[in-house]
Formats: sequence, C-alpha cells, structure tokens
Amino acid sequence: MRTRPLFPMLIVAALMAGAATGCEKKSGTGGTGSATGKADPAASTRPIVIGSTLSLSGAFAATGQIHKIAGEEFLDRLNKAGGLLGRKVEWIVRDDESDQAKVATLYEQLISQDKVDLIMGPYATPNILSAMAVAERHGYVLPQHTSVLAPLMKYPCQFPGWSHGFAPNEFVPGQLFDAMASLPRPPKKIAILTNQNGSTDFVSYGAGDNKKGFVSIARDRGLEVVAEIKYPPGAATSWAPLATQVRDAKPDLVINSGLGIDPVNLLQAMAQLNYSPPLMFSLFPAPGPLLKLGPTADRVLAVSIFEPNPAVLAKSGPVVAEIVSDFKNRATEAKLPYTAFETQATASWNAWEILVSGVKAAGSVDNKAICDALHKTGADTTFSGHLTFDPAQNNFWPPTTSGLKQIQDGDWVIVWPAERAAAPIKPPPG
Amino acid sequence: MKFLQAALTGMLLGGLHALMAAGLSLSWGVLRIINLAHFGLILLGAYLTFQIASSWHIDPIATLVVTIPALFVAGALLQWGFDRLAVTELNSLLLSFGLLVAMVQAVSNLWTADFQQMTAAVNPYATSSLSVGRLVFPTTTLIAFVLSVLIIGGGHQALQRTFIGRALRAFAMDRTIAAAFGIDHRRVSILLAGIAGGSAAVAGMLFALSTPLAPFAAFEWFGIVFAVVILGGIGNVVGTLLAGLLVGALSSLASVIHSPATEPFVVFSLIVVALLVRPQGLFARAGGS
Amino acid sequence: MRAARSAFATGLWAFPLATAGLAVLSLYRESLGLPVSYLSLLTLILVWTIQATSWNILSGFSGYFSFGQAAYVGTGAYATAVLYGRHGVSFYITLVVAAGLCALLALAIGGLAFRLRSLRGEIFALLTLAVPFILGALARTSRAIDGGQGIPLPVPSFPAQLGLFQDFLYLVGLLVAAGAVWTAFAIAHSRFGWALAAIRDAEQVAEGLGVATFRYKLLALVASAVIGGVGGSVFALYIGFVTVESVFNLNFPLFVIVMSVLGGRTHWQGPVLGAVLVVVLQNRLASSHFESWQLIVLGAILVVLVAVAPEGLTSGVRRRPWPVLGAVFGTTVILWLARAPGQPLDWILVGMLAAAAVAVWPGRRRRGLSIAPTEPAAVQPSSPRSSASAPPASAPPPSESAPLAPAAPDPAPAAPAAPAVLVECRKVARYFGGVHALEDVTLRIHEGEIVGLVGPNGSGKTTLVSLLSGSLRPTRGHILVAGHDTRTLAPHQVAHAGIARTYQIPRPFASMTVRDNVAMAVMFGRVPSRLTQARARAEQHIAFVGLGPLAGALPSALNLHQRQLLEIARALATEPKVLLLDEALAGLNPAEIDSAVEVVRRVHRAGTAIVIVEHLLRVVNQLATRVVVLDRGTVLADGEPRAVMSDPAVIQAYLGRSGARA
Repeated sequence: MRTRPLFPMLIVAALMAGAATGCEKKSGTGGTGSATGKADPAASTRPIVIGSTLSLSGAFAATGQIHKIAGEEFLDRLNKAGGLLGRKVEWIVRDDESDQAKVATLYEQLISQDKVDLIMGPYATPNILSAMAVAERHGYVLPQHTSVLAPLMKYPCQFPGWSHGFAPNEFVPGQLFDAMASLPRPPKKIAILTNQNGSTDFVSYGAGDNKKGFVSIARDRGLEVVAEIKYPPGAATSWAPLATQVRDAKPDLVINSGLGIDPVNLLQAMAQLNYSPPLMFSLFPAPGPLLKLGPTADRVLAVSIFEPNPAVLAKSGPVVAEIVSDFKNRATEAKLPYTAFETQATASWNAWEILVSGVKAAGSVDNKAICDALHKTGADTTFSGHLTFDPAQNNFWPPTTSGLKQIQDGDWVIVWPAERAAAPIKPPPG
Repeated sequence: MKFLQAALTGMLLGGLHALMAAGLSLSWGVLRIINLAHFGLILLGAYLTFQIASSWHIDPIATLVVTIPALFVAGALLQWGFDRLAVTELNSLLLSFGLLVAMVQAVSNLWTADFQQMTAAVNPYATSSLSVGRLVFPTTTLIAFVLSVLIIGGGHQALQRTFIGRALRAFAMDRTIAAAFGIDHRRVSILLAGIAGGSAAVAGMLFALSTPLAPFAAFEWFGIVFAVVILGGIGNVVGTLLAGLLVGALSSLASVIHSPATEPFVVFSLIVVALLVRPQGLFARAGGS
Repeated sequence: MRAARSAFATGLWAFPLATAGLAVLSLYRESLGLPVSYLSLLTLILVWTIQATSWNILSGFSGYFSFGQAAYVGTGAYATAVLYGRHGVSFYITLVVAAGLCALLALAIGGLAFRLRSLRGEIFALLTLAVPFILGALARTSRAIDGGQGIPLPVPSFPAQLGLFQDFLYLVGLLVAAGAVWTAFAIAHSRFGWALAAIRDAEQVAEGLGVATFRYKLLALVASAVIGGVGGSVFALYIGFVTVESVFNLNFPLFVIVMSVLGGRTHWQGPVLGAVLVVVLQNRLASSHFESWQLIVLGAILVVLVAVAPEGLTSGVRRRPWPVLGAVFGTTVILWLARAPGQPLDWILVGMLAAAAVAVWPGRRRRGLSIAPTEPAAVQPSSPRSSASAPPASAPPPSESAPLAPAAPDPAPAAPAAPAVLVECRKVARYFGGVHALEDVTLRIHEGEIVGLVGPNGSGKTTLVSLLSGSLRPTRGHILVAGHDTRTLAPHQVAHAGIARTYQIPRPFASMTVRDNVAMAVMFGRVPSRLTQARARAEQHIAFVGLGPLAGALPSALNLHQRQLLEIARALATEPKVLLLDEALAGLNPAEIDSAVEVVRRVHRAGTAIVIVEHLLRVVNQLATRVVVLDRGTVLADGEPRAVMSDPAVIQAYLGRSGARA
C-alpha cells in the first residue's frame, strides 16, 4: 500500500524534470508587445493608451481626485493640440481604493491585459512604490507626481514630477528652518508630530543610513524639541490626547509631518482645548479642508511648488492662467471642495509633461527609448522649467521650484523663498 | 495634569464607543446575531446627519428626529431578514460582513470617498469647549458622553423594569422557556433590533458632530468597538459602558505616555488578556450544566 | 462522501501531474501562445488560493472561524521584506523563516486560545481579529521591522531560462499553492481530517470518543499559519513593496472567507474554486465601468450565498460534475462562436457564473442539519421506516460480541468474589458559580454492574455523567478511572481509559453517515486504526444495535430512537469498560423502549458495565443491578434496587415531591 504510489510519482517527477529541462528558450521580452514598441502597421493611426490608477476612494481619495482632474485637463489640451506623435491619447484610470496591494494588481492588469502603451504613476508614496515594482518588471517608464522617498525610488525609469532633491529629509526641514529664521522672533521651541506613513516619516526621521530629518535638524540648529509624537496613518487616531500634549509643551512652532486631513483634525482638537499654536507647519495637507476651518487655520504653512496667487500668475503668462482657470471650472463641476490649481495639480502636470517630452524625444512609445531620451535630454515643463534627470540621484531633480505656502486671509499664498513669494510670511500674533 | 486631562478626554470619548458597542452587544447577547452591519448603520446615521443638517441648515442634533426613525426601521428590517433566513450565530457574522462591505461602498458611491464635514456655520459645537481650571472638555465629546450615558442608562433601566425588558432577558437566557411564557420572539427581536438601529443613529450623529466623515472609517471602528463589547461582557449594557470608559482612558493614556501608534497594541492586547484570563467574566450568558 | 485510501493514492500522482500541467503553461508559454496577461491573472489566483486554502484548513475543516488571516500574510511578508529586501538574505531562505515564524505564532495563539475550556467559536474569531492589529502596530513602531516607511523588494535573481519575472513568480506561486492544496487534500483524506470534521460537527462528543481535539486543532492552526506565511512571502514578492497597510489588511480575512464560503468550506477544493471565481470576477469588474460597484457585488454574493447555499459550490459541482463542466465550456464556446461582445475572459466569467448557478440549483440539498430531535425528515429509500424503528428480531450472531471482548481485561461477566472497581468517586463536588450541582458524592462502579442513577430533576445526574466522562472537572474531590485521576487526563484520555457516554439529546456528527459516525469512534479508540478497517468494525457495532440497514444514511434522516441507538453504537465503538447512558430512553414509545432495553442487556452481556440515568423507574427496576439515588447533589441512597426503592427517605425525596409525575 505504501510503496505502490511511488511508481506513478516517479513517472510524474520524470515528466516534470523533462518539462523543466526542455523548457523553451524565451525571447525575454514577453508578450506584452507594446512595451517593446514592435513595428505594428496599424500603430500609427491607433490612439496611444496610457494607464494608471488613482485613489478615487479610500484614505487618499481627497487628493486622488485632484490628480484625476488635472490629468483629464492635460490630455484634453494635448489632444486638442493634435495629440502625441500625431496620434490621439487615451487615458484608462482605475480606482485603487487607496490600497497598495490593489495598486500592484491593477498595474499588472493594465500593462499585461489592457496592453496600455504607457503608464502614469498613482497618488501617494506607498502606492507609487507599489506601482514602481510592477513598472520595473515590465520595463515601463513611470512618471509620478508626488513620491518623496527619493532613496527608495531606485528604478532608473522612474521620473518624479515634484522633487525636493535627492534628500528631501534634509532639504524640506532646512528650507522651513531657514524661513523661520527670517522671522523677527524666530521660534525656539518645536513640537513635531509625525504620521508614520512612508513619506512623512521619512521627512521627520530619514531613511536607511541617512537619519537626518525634522527632528535631528531642529536639534542641530539649536532648537528645542519640546514634543515628539508619532501616530499611525488612518482615521482611528484620537486627536485629543495629541492636542493636549502639544498644548502642554508650549511650542513656538508645531510641525505636523502629516498628510491629508491630519492638520485639520489636529487644529480642531487643539481649538477644542481653547488652544491655538503660535505657528504651524503641515507637510502635505489636502488643500481644501484646512481652508474650511476658517480663522482656526490662519497662518498654517505647507510645502508648495505653485499656487495661483495673483502676484504669481501675473509673472507666469497666459498659458498658466488658462490652465488654472480651466482647472477651476472642472473642479467646480466635479464638486471638489477646493478648486484652485495648486501644488498637487502642478506636480501632476509636471509628470504628464515629462511623459510627453520623453515620447516626443524618443519619437515612439517604446518605453526603453523614452527612458533613455529623458535621461539624455531631460524634459520641459510649464511650471518647473527644464528638468534634467540624473540616475545617480534616482532622477530627483534639484529643488529649484520648491517653496513654502501659508494660509493668509482664507487662501494659500506662496511666501518662501523670498524671491518667488507673493507675500511675506505672516508671523505669529503678538 | 497632562495625564489627568488625557484620561478624562479618553473617558468621554469612551462613552461614544460604548454607545456604538451597546447595540452590537445586545444584538449578540440577546438575538444571537453578530451584526457587523451595525457599523454600516452608524455610518449611515453619520452621513444622514451631515446631509440633512447641511442642506436644510438645521442643528445637527435636531436631525435625530429623522435619523432615529429611519435607522429604527433599517435595523428592524435587517433583523426581519436574519430571522427569515434563520442564520446561525457564525453565519450572521459572515452575512453581515457582506452587508457592511456593500453598505460602505454604497455610502462611498453616494457621498464620494472624500472627507465630508459640516461647516462651522451649521455645526457650532465643533470648536467650542468647557473649561474647569486647566482641564478642558470639548463640547462635542461632552454631548457624546452625556447622550451615551443617558441612552445606555435608560436602556438598562428599561431592561430591568419593563415587561418587554424582562421578556428580552428571559429570551436571552432560554428561548424555548421564553416562548412557553408566551413571548413572541419575532416581535421582541425586531423591536430590539430597531432600538439598536436607533442607537446607531445617535452614535452616527455624534460622529458627524466631531470628526470629518469618510466611508472607510466604518472598518476602523471595528477594533475598538469589539474590544469594548468583549470586555464589557456580551449582552451586558452596563458592562459595555464601563468597558468603554476603561478602554477610552487607557488608550488615551497609552497615546500620551508612549505614542498613538501603540494604542492598538494596548487595546488589543487587553482584549487578548481579558479573554484568556477572565473568560467566565466575559460571558454574559455562559452555559452552565 | 470521502473515499478512502484509493483517493489518497490517486492524489499522490494526480497532484504532481496537475502541477506539472500548470507549470507547462509558463515553461512553454511562447510555444502555446499564451499571453503574459493570463499568466499574471493565474498568479493572482494562485496567491489567493494559497491564502484561502490556509484559512480553510483551520476554519473550514474544524469550524473555528479565524479573522486573523492577515497576521500570517503580514508575518510572512515582513519576514521576506526585512531579510531579503533590507538585508539581502536569499529569498528562498526567507520562505523557510516565514514558515517558522508563523508556526511559532500559531503555537502561541493556539496554545493560549485552545486551552480555554469555554472557548467558543465567536470568541476565537474575535481573538484572531485582534492579532493582526497587534502585529501591525508592532511592525509600525519597530524600526527593526518597518518603522513606518515600508520596504521595497528588488526582483530576485532566478534562472534565466525561466523567462520573465512573471514566469518565475507564477512558478513559485504554483509550487506553494500546489503544496498548500495538497496539504489540505492529504488532511481531508486522513484521520486528521476526520478528527477536524468531528470537531466541527460536535467537538465535545468527539472528545468524549477519544479524539485528541486540542492536538488536532493546534496542528490545523499550525498548518494553516505556515501555509499563510509562505503565501505571505510570495505575496510580498508579487506586490514588490511591503507596508503595514498592504499586508496587515482586513481585506485578507474578507476575501478568503468569501472565497471559501463560495467554494465550500468543508472540502479541500472549495477554496480553489472560490479563488478562481472571485479573482476572475474582480478582474472583470475592475475593467468594467462598474468598478465602484465591485465591493457591493462581492458583499451581495456573500450575503446571497450564506443565505441560499451555506455549503458552497463544491458539493454542487461534485453532485453533478458533468452538467457543471458542460455549463462552463458550453457557455464559453457559445459566446465565442456567437462573437459576443467583450474579451475571452468575459466569456469565461459568464461560463463560470452559469456553472455556479447550475451547481447551486435546488437539487435538494443533503443537509437538514437540525440536531434537535425531530421526526425523520426523509427516510432513506433503502430502509423502510418500519424495519428501522424496531431492531431486527434475529439475535446477534455470536461473532458480533467478539470485537467487544478485548475491551475488558478479564471478560468473565460472572465475576468471582470481588469484582474489580472500574470507576471511583471520592467526595466529588461540582459548582457552577454559586450553584452547588454536586456535593460530596462518593461512589464506586464495579465490573459487571448496571447502575441505575435516578433522582428528581436538577439533582445532578447529568452533571455526574459529565464528570465521569471527563468533559467536566470536579470542583473538589477526585474521580479515579482505572486508577488514574481524571484531573490529570484530557477528556479524550478518559475515553481511552474506558469511559464512554451517550447524550440525552443525541449529538451525531451531522456531516457523516451512520457508518462513519461509528467509524470515527473506532479510528480514534485506544488502538488507532485506519478508516477502511474502522468502517468494517463500525458495521459490526451498527448491526449490534440493529441499525444495519441505515448504515449509509445521514443522521438527519434518523428518528429519535434511531439516533439514540446510534449514540449507543458510537459509544460502544470506543470499546468502553463503563458505558454511561444519559436518558437514552427519553421520548421513546413503549415498543421502542423495549427494544432499547434489549440492546442495553446485550451490551451488558458482552461484558460492559453500564451506568444508566433514567426517569422511568420501571426500566431501572427491570435493568439495574444496583440503584443510586441523587437528591440536590448528594447521594441519598445506594444499593440493591428493591431495597433502595422501599427506603422511606427515597420515597419522600423522589416520589413525595414529584409524586404526581410518578
């Protein structure tokens, strides 16, 4: 009884061994087709299809919607101007429900099943990293809007639309503390609250061997860190205890290395304690909800590349004005709570322009050619000028257009660096 | 002072968690239905409050006039369905999980996945507070606490004093005996599920009052609410209230003493320890012989 | 139902063959002209098959629902992410580490949870729900694990002749999935699987029949965790970037439960079917314009299935395999020929949905599953009711008592001077909270006796039976079975020591036939045996109590009397020295009582001592060699029946208070 099944097992094992050794020689490109840009007679008339996911529901949805509208606007303009390589451009965008596991599955599906020609990155750093893993497998170029985790973005064909340089964990804190030092009475005591989400944690504490970040740089500059709090991502955080801690620490500046509606929750919880911090900085806030808080959120600072302030628009020319006003119409129609074409939309726009520059320079939708072309010639963008990509820096370009914005009288205003500012930084009251 | 404030704020918030847990606990203990769709009802209550208050410009608390009857009916209908299908305790968990997932997505389709919040004009409670010396209590948490205690206390009294209440308790202990005494179990269970639905309306309103709403929040309530249900003793409303206060204070303290990231660690370790060390104390209807 | 050895032997070559067949899809992908997209879809199906199978081994087979699948996925994924992604350890080694870590985790969870004597299914479910939250918080706060930023995984190096990374991932997934499904298959076809099924149907009964429930539950939990953990490593490679949110995620329990329930959670094939259907459905929904309806559709499927077909698709597929296969291929081919809109995958999906409908189409499900005593729902056609309700008149052939003989060390019923003491209670007390169910009960049961245990309602008779059978432990005092204190024995060891019991309300294993109900007891008896042998032995016991014609029926087809006889047959199959009959005659009509009494006599003649709890004094007087009267938890009288029955204290306590009923 025991020995009898051995015989068929041996046969099967032999069969399997045969199958494995006889395994065919593969071409190594797979059947994904368009990734290699094989000559296809109908290719010149067929539309170019670009695939991506965005978080249209779930935790990142508030910002994901902005990227959707910006992308649609960009492609409408592109198609109106004759498309790309003389072909129309179509965009398939799927909802990843803010779930990173789903991002990988959907990109896999877009590339191998829907056979899209090109891809665009999703929103939020963890999602982008998931998409990058899939893009790398298939050799697709991945332009992306907002990933900050520069050291982890090792795939050479990944191109950021928003850059704080190769070391955002040094650049962003440095820029903020520089700006603060310019105030008549610079803050001395700092409270730092960090959302333990990839990008925000990175800017507070660094990654790998580079442990620099808000916390260490604040200390290096002789500032006193009076409260240091980490909290998990997600809506379950109860903010009242955090607010209590911050209030009791009496900081001059609250740094919320958070994203989405974190600062809204925090400010609201502090307001309920009859406390309002002298000055607050928030890393990546969803722009709309903070403005809804009214005076409570006045003077809040955040990072920015572009805000449609009249002073900025006056310098930018008619194309920018057109983009901004078109976006406003679309966002209003989509019932977005905040309709200004600001940093997130700008990052999105940059990413799309990088992709288009690459395709134009390569003269085809061959992903390898696009990747090489971008490394060689860089990309031209409306909002951030000409960009160059150095693979040694993971393609993160110098942070020439990064600055700070502040809520002043109910709107976001660029306040730093001084030469690009629409208004000076409003110091804390009293 | 820092710790006292944290503990008190946590306890006030714990009252709201207890209110959420009470409906779940009663339905589990008495009706033998582990109704995860209860979270969906709370979510619905929150969004209805937001919608009604925002479009009619009325005080969010006044929306209860609409939401309580609406969710009473919804809860009763659900129970009617469970009853018709004669689902077992375990299958009710599966079935209502499916319902919850569908409800959350439906809310997301109706109100978008974006955060929704009543404006300061509609919701005057969001930024006001009451201070006692250095201690400060946010108005929304105070309202939540007071309403929760009133409802849970009232529910407890009703269970102890009224005929229906006694019928329910008899029903929880032994269905066949209760039936022998002429208790129509269908009517009683539908009534109870309706009341649980009503409590979900109140809990939802309190959420809409104090935080921005997002559909996926329903899943994030899971952990803490089940912690409260189990620690309080399944089917034991007063236990639920006490457990809510305890969990609220502890998680708030954990948050202040170490970091908010340790909150789930503390809360869930507590569940595990409680289940392991005092299982008998957790079974409101533990079987004897 | 489950075939025996032969099925297992078939599996030994069928599984490698199927695996090889699926491997060919990748190895000869280009020659076959298979697009990579299908390979990716298959990989996703494999990833979910691993998880669903992992869940099913514990929760489907044993009935202990777990909501903690994400704990294994997360542990496995982080083992790979930290070791391979951060420290460059070989990917293959991390698979082993993942398995080891998950095994330890399972031992910790099971060692704690299954030790709880009062553990109920829902409490276990919620305990497991808590675990991923705890581990997730740990991963998030600890810099050594994650710390909050997530860990990217580079593409590992693999033999170039395999082709693309997709090929490699597919093959790794295939090997792990094949291993997982094979494990489930092997478990289902072994004693292990039978033990789990018995635990699912009636755990306490299984324990009382000698099934080492703790060990089997723990083993199932470990097997489940190891598979889930290795699957988690594969998943980490699949997503390429691991964060707390992506692996300690409530989607895992949700989807594995949907898949297993959909496919059928009592069968090893269930999760596979479920994974195929759900993944393809999701894939198509995501590509359609209904993506915002995806979760609504999945939620609705779960609701409808639990309501309509709680046993899942597998039983339907196995009941009518050809119509189901026909529906899949027929529909797909028709859609293809008709050039229906959409892609081949859409047609396949429609085909699968049609097949699912065929499978669950009301063809009379086989599960009544009401354990409460009811009138027989449908008597098997092979056994007319009349012959079943009365045992065959023919006296049992002498050979039938033979298997019982070795049970008693010295099988001489007419014992010499001092019959051996089989069970001894010394000052036993048992309290339930404040209720003193038993107090100071001292009692001996000797070889060859039939002890009648009587007393008014609530006098502690059933409690005493539960104490003797080891399913309850005394609050004070000692119970010695064959010289061993039951406090030191697990309930299944008490069974092995020679005690068996029946239940007042019969508790058969609902998913097994009468024959297999009894075979269970043989298989897990003092001398473990194989299913084929056990079935042969079971037939003898079934014939002994007169249930022979019903051997192939499911318990739901039996009437109360037949179920009581099944209880007795099952208890006898453990070859007990002492048989405890707890109101085995309750609810029977006079003719049935007579036939049951006859069975009890036969058991006694075969050399088994009997303790019979009974209300009917007529029966007790007729049968018992000794009567013990309990009143309010204490022994009121103990002795020869006629003497006891005429004891004034007994008449006062027993007949006086409940005289109206006597």
